[in-house]
Amino acid sequence: MRIRRIGAVARFELLSVIKRWSYLIATFGLPLFLAGVSGTVLGIQTYFLSQRAAQSSQFGLIDDAGVVDRSEFSSRDGQRVWSANGSDVVLYEDRDLANRDLASGRLRALYIVQEDYLRSGEVRAVQSEKTPLLSMRGTTIEPMLRSLLRKSLLEGRLEADVQERVLAPAHFVRARLGPDGDQTTDLSEALDLLVRTTIPLFLGVLLLTALLSASGYLVQTVATDKESKIVEVLLSSVSPEEILAGKLLGLGAAGLLQFAVWSSMVVLVAITASTALAAVVAVPWQAISVAPVLFVLGYLFLGSLMLATAALGANAAESQKLTMGWALLAIVPLMVLVVLLEEPHGIAGQVLTWIPFTSPLTVIIRLAVDPSGIAWWEVAGAIVALLISTWLSIRIGARLFRVGFLLTGSRPSFAELWRQAK
Amino acid sequence: MGILAYRGVSKRFGPRAALEDVSLEVVPGEVFGLLGPNGAGKTTLIRIGLDILRADEGEVRLFGTQPSRKALDRASYLPEERGVYRRAKVRELLEYLGALKGLKRVEARRAAGHWLERVGLSQVADQRVESLSKGMTQKVQIAGCLMTEPELCILDEPFSGLDPVNVALVTELIEERRARGRTTVLSTHMMHQVEALCDRVALVHRGRLVVYGQLDEIRRRYSPHEVVIWTTMDLLALGMPATQHKAGGWRVALPPTATPAGYLSELVRSGVLVERYEPLVARMDEIFVNLVSEGR
Repeated sequence: MRIRRIGAVARFELLSVIKRWSYLIATFGLPLFLAGVSGTVLGIQTYFLSQRAAQSSQFGLIDDAGVVDRSEFSSRDGQRVWSANGSDVVLYEDRDLANRDLASGRLRALYIVQEDYLRSGEVRAVQSEKTPLLSMRGTTIEPMLRSLLRKSLLEGRLEADVQERVLAPAHFVRARLGPDGDQTTDLSEALDLLVRTTIPLFLGVLLLTALLSASGYLVQTVATDKESKIVEVLLSSVSPEEILAGKLLGLGAAGLLQFAVWSSMVVLVAITASTALAAVVAVPWQAISVAPVLFVLGYLFLGSLMLATAALGANAAESQKLTMGWALLAIVPLMVLVVLLEEPHGIAGQVLTWIPFTSPLTVIIRLAVDPSGIAWWEVAGAIVALLISTWLSIRIGARLFRVGFLLTGSRPSFAELWRQAK
Repeated sequence: MGILAYRGVSKRFGPRAALEDVSLEVVPGEVFGLLGPNGAGKTTLIRIGLDILRADEGEVRLFGTQPSRKALDRASYLPEERGVYRRAKVRELLEYLGALKGLKRVEARRAAGHWLERVGLSQVADQRVESLSKGMTQKVQIAGCLMTEPELCILDEPFSGLDPVNVALVTELIEERRARGRTTVLSTHMMHQVEALCDRVALVHRGRLVVYGQLDEIRRRYSPHEVVIWTTMDLLALGMPATQHKAGGWRVALPPTATPAGYLSELVRSGVLVERYEPLVARMDEIFVNLVSEGR
């Protein structure tokens, strides 16, 4: 094969694709759009949070029923204050002073335990005219006050441990039934897994999308060549193998560029998230560093099969139908995603690591979820298996491509394909 | 020695024989006419010569060797089913076709510019191919085929869809190639172009080679043994076996043993005032129709 001819085909195919609007929008527009949407949502949230932070976190309490346990309050600047969860509750004896503080904005709300509270349970929440009526929704003040009232009502009436259980009746401990009986699991660990799998999942989906997208371009270009009847001109200048290699490289470069742009976005999000949530989010560096190799090999393997099969179709629609089987095989890891996330190094994970169709995505997911559980030889073995399969698929693919590329209208019989491929 | 040679080439597509035992040679510097009705096997023959298809039997030599990528760089092909990347720009397409033939990027750019000017399309160099008319697109394809100055150029129906001005342009380009010693294989149904351009021809019908050789010799071989005589005298009155010819003059069948030159001397000796005298030579379209009809 002649390198310069392959380069010429690759360059032409690459430029043809990257100049298309659909490619530019998918590659750069999509991340920009997502960044724009995320930025807007984050901006709005930040704005409201800062607005809320600027509001007073002090609340007033008037106990007309005389049920609130004063011993919970401490003395501060001549006032009795009860603090919990970053909010202060000031106990007022003087209604006018409380109203003035509410009107001046010093208090965010004023709670009045009504005289007939024991009978009616009524606690009046008073807000100033300037404060939106629903602005107290989602704050922790009311559950805190409920807790304070409950504790005050029980004080001295029950034994200490019973009182504690009335206040906090149950603390659920999660457990699973295993071979050695039921075993306690840590809820925070489960939450950690959930957060940790989000980025690997995203990365895996991006890898697959980029793989299928680049392979889709291959199918499209073969269909275009056949439909535009330029095949004979090409074949009188370059061999089918050179066309196949050039197309694979050119469109692979387009796919790799797309994957690089998309995965940069994932890395950026991961780094940002890990800064904010360092305890639970880790950037899957091992997965990210192996991803380009897996993308290239996975693409060459899948792409050469796609090109050969697409060449057998009479038009774009038929080519797409013929290549659908390969795409379905490649998305198997997504079909068993739950199993892979829960047990990345289980039987399913181990088997899918060695199948060339599924290995890129499986290895990425396993490395990202739990890099310590996958042996180096498994990663190396998967890459070697992919290399061998890629070499075979390019060789067989090129022969089928020659037969298919020249076909116009009819599809060859299996006997004819076999004869030509030998 | 042939620049492109076929020896006993056969090719089948399923039960159908596309070519049967075809042997012919294209020699350097000539314009070779490859003729035949639709579906005769011409395109299959060309594809086999350019290694696009493989023959089931027989041997093909291109520049003296089996068709190889190196040999193919010295040849170019304009297929009957024209193919272009319609969304590409004209200059980009030509540069790409040049690069596929091995030109470096600078050479391809220079050749594309030169050939666009040569076929009168410089002004559309930066337009997309899809914006061009059919004739203009065809000229782009012809430029793409000739831009590497190939030693062998195979043109399948290069005149179809062209107006008379552009037919003249393409004719001129083919004649220029012959003047420079380049070889052209011309496959066309336009027999007057064959008569005007070709040195030798081959006629393929139902996969078999029916006629092959020098154009003049073939025309003579298939010509009637007749002459056309222009004279003011009434030849019928002179008792000659003459009929009125459509181009004026008298059409006279020669005696089996007579030659045109000998018959003219005899006419002059017998006192016939000959203004103009022409042996009747068969036209290629007549030969084509007769041979193809015979085979049906």
